[in-house]
Amino acid sequence: MPLLSLSGIHPTDWVEFADDQPVDEGAYAAVSAARLAEDGDTLFAAAGQVAAIIDGDADGDVLAPYIDRLAAIWINFKAFNDGRGFSLALRFKRDMGFKGEVRAIGKVIPDQAQFLARSGFDSVEVAEERVAAFETALSRYTSFYQCTINGDMSVAHRRHMRADKGAA
Amino acid sequence: MYKYDEYDHEIVGARVAEFRDQVNRRLKGELTEEEFRPLRLMNGLYLQLHAYMLRVAIPYGTLSSDQLRRLARIARVYDKGYGHFTTRQNIQYNWPKLVETPDILQELADVEMHAIQTSGNCIRNVTTDQFAGATAEEIDDPRIYGEIIRQWSSLHPEFSFLPRKFKIAITGAEKDRAAVKWHDIGLVMKRGPEGEPGFEVLVGGGMGRTPVIAKTIRDFLPEPYLLSYLEAILRVYNEQGNRDNKYKARIKILVDAIGADEFARQTEAEWEKMKDQPIDVPAEEIARIRSYFAPPALPVLDAQDDAVDALAAKNVMFKAWLKNNTHPHKVPGHVAVTISLKPAGGIPGDASDSQMELIADLADQYSQGDVRVSHEQNLILPHVAWRDLADLWTALDGAGLGFANAGLVSDIIACPGLDYCSLANARSIPLAQELSNRFADLTRLEDVGPLKIKISGCINSCGHHHAGHIGILGVDRRGVENYQILLGGSGEEDATKAELLGPGFGADEIADKIEQVIAVYLDIREEDEHFLAAYRRVGPAPFKEALYAAA
Repeated sequence: MPLLSLSGIHPTDWVEFADDQPVDEGAYAAVSAARLAEDGDTLFAAAGQVAAIIDGDADGDVLAPYIDRLAAIWINFKAFNDGRGFSLALRFKRDMGFKGEVRAIGKVIPDQAQFLARSGFDSVEVAEERVAAFETALSRYTSFYQCTINGDMSVAHRRHMRADKGAA
Repeated sequence: MYKYDEYDHEIVGARVAEFRDQVNRRLKGELTEEEFRPLRLMNGLYLQLHAYMLRVAIPYGTLSSDQLRRLARIARVYDKGYGHFTTRQNIQYNWPKLVETPDILQELADVEMHAIQTSGNCIRNVTTDQFAGATAEEIDDPRIYGEIIRQWSSLHPEFSFLPRKFKIAITGAEKDRAAVKWHDIGLVMKRGPEGEPGFEVLVGGGMGRTPVIAKTIRDFLPEPYLLSYLEAILRVYNEQGNRDNKYKARIKILVDAIGADEFARQTEAEWEKMKDQPIDVPAEEIARIRSYFAPPALPVLDAQDDAVDALAAKNVMFKAWLKNNTHPHKVPGHVAVTISLKPAGGIPGDASDSQMELIADLADQYSQGDVRVSHEQNLILPHVAWRDLADLWTALDGAGLGFANAGLVSDIIACPGLDYCSLANARSIPLAQELSNRFADLTRLEDVGPLKIKISGCINSCGHHHAGHIGILGVDRRGVENYQILLGGSGEEDATKAELLGPGFGADEIADKIEQVIAVYLDIREEDEHFLAAYRRVGPAPFKEALYAAA
């Protein structure tokens, strides 16, 4: 499925390995959080880079021991209206200081594009026929009522920066 | 009142365009109904029994006269000539066409209104005291913070897909007219030790099938941290609220499950992490928003007027209206006026297009162009000079809006019930109409005194029956409408849950039974004792005896 960038980064291509499938030497390997928790050190030794796949409703702390070594985290939305995935992305990016790529996979819909970008997602996997709708949604709003981790400043803050400039 | 700047216009305009696009994609089949449903709900569009219903936000219940005129126009052009004011200070239109809803939203945006988050599992319209900015009882105008919360909660990226709906209410007075203890978050404005502004924070209140009164998790939150603290509460709820069972998904269930102390501890821990991030608005922004709510410059006037006295001497309805439908104002010689939308035999909260237009004109003439909606489904003119009351009432009375029953037994809250709602088990409106007809007589109304009847047509309790002095819950008993009576509830600062009296009654006997309840009260009351005080003194026993013993 096509990948869209939400933060301007170029999304990395990964090879997804099932839990019972050996990881190729030096591969860019995407593996489940459960497998990582069980066998993390072996995986990091074998793979070139590691991405963790975690469900949106999971406890993000399972990835805490690996947060500095992971290159990417994929958050899987099992239902688009389960908003836990948004908080989870913020846990990784804001609370744990994760610097790699956070990707949304699963049942997200185009109307969530800016919510994803503004909660710290860098990329999203999108069905081919929905790429255009996603891209439209991504530029829908240009002003926001919240400051967010992707650098959007709230209008409450912008209003007064503008006023400062005017006064200077 | 608040005026949009270029940013507010831009955001609300973009929301109209977005919704138009969503409707088009649904009509073309690019969005499934399952996907469209939460999107339309987040913009206030329900699919009801007979038609779509559009719920329009009236933030913290404040309207300008021009906005009210636009609501009237929408009722006339896009609906059947009326609108329904709700217990959340909003207005609902019962007959819009799906394809026309984007046009309605544009009409609203033109007068700085919207339908953003009036439904759906997100943060809903923040509600407050209908007398905010007018009552002498408040320490500050809660609408300042209502507007700050409106902006912060609109299109919030993290909290637009919560486990369930989320309602915040705020009061600036200890006297609570906003039912804050029945909300997911209740905020009570307070002063700190140095006189600094802040809030008592309560969480976990709610009605529905599990009524719970909110618990205080922080005695004093300083004003600069309001939004970061709310964000911490929402974070804990978004992650841990139940998503498997919609009846266990409200924050009240989570707070009960882990305990208010543990919920407070987790909230404080989250807040420590986020309190210094740019979540709260700068002090200059609070000052900017405050400036829009500056009190109107009203002159101090006499609280006596010959024309008012003369009309009161010859018209008993006006005399009663002066007593029941006016509330003291900060500025001597003024009052806040409650316009009853509860005429005998009427549908509680309904207003026609021409009534709305008349009230808008009267607001311009007598109330600084300012109109409020109360959660009790009435309209308020908050800044009226005493000397204008005779002229104002005469104009209202001519349009069927002069009824003197504010706070009395026929000032009934009722949900739309089975006449409109797809969730309802029983009708609410015909019962409200029947009861208000039985108490149409002014002498009888005034003799019974302050008494709040609240009717819900199903367990979801949109009619607030848990908080009624007399609550009525409509249920479906083997395919037949049946009505249970609950007594002793309160939505105010002394909030209590109403208690179920016993087995329910059929639609043909419930009005008689309510009359019996009131007869028992009249029999047992001491001196000027109100219904609630009498019930609290004697308990349910005499009421049970009267309603069930004879059978």
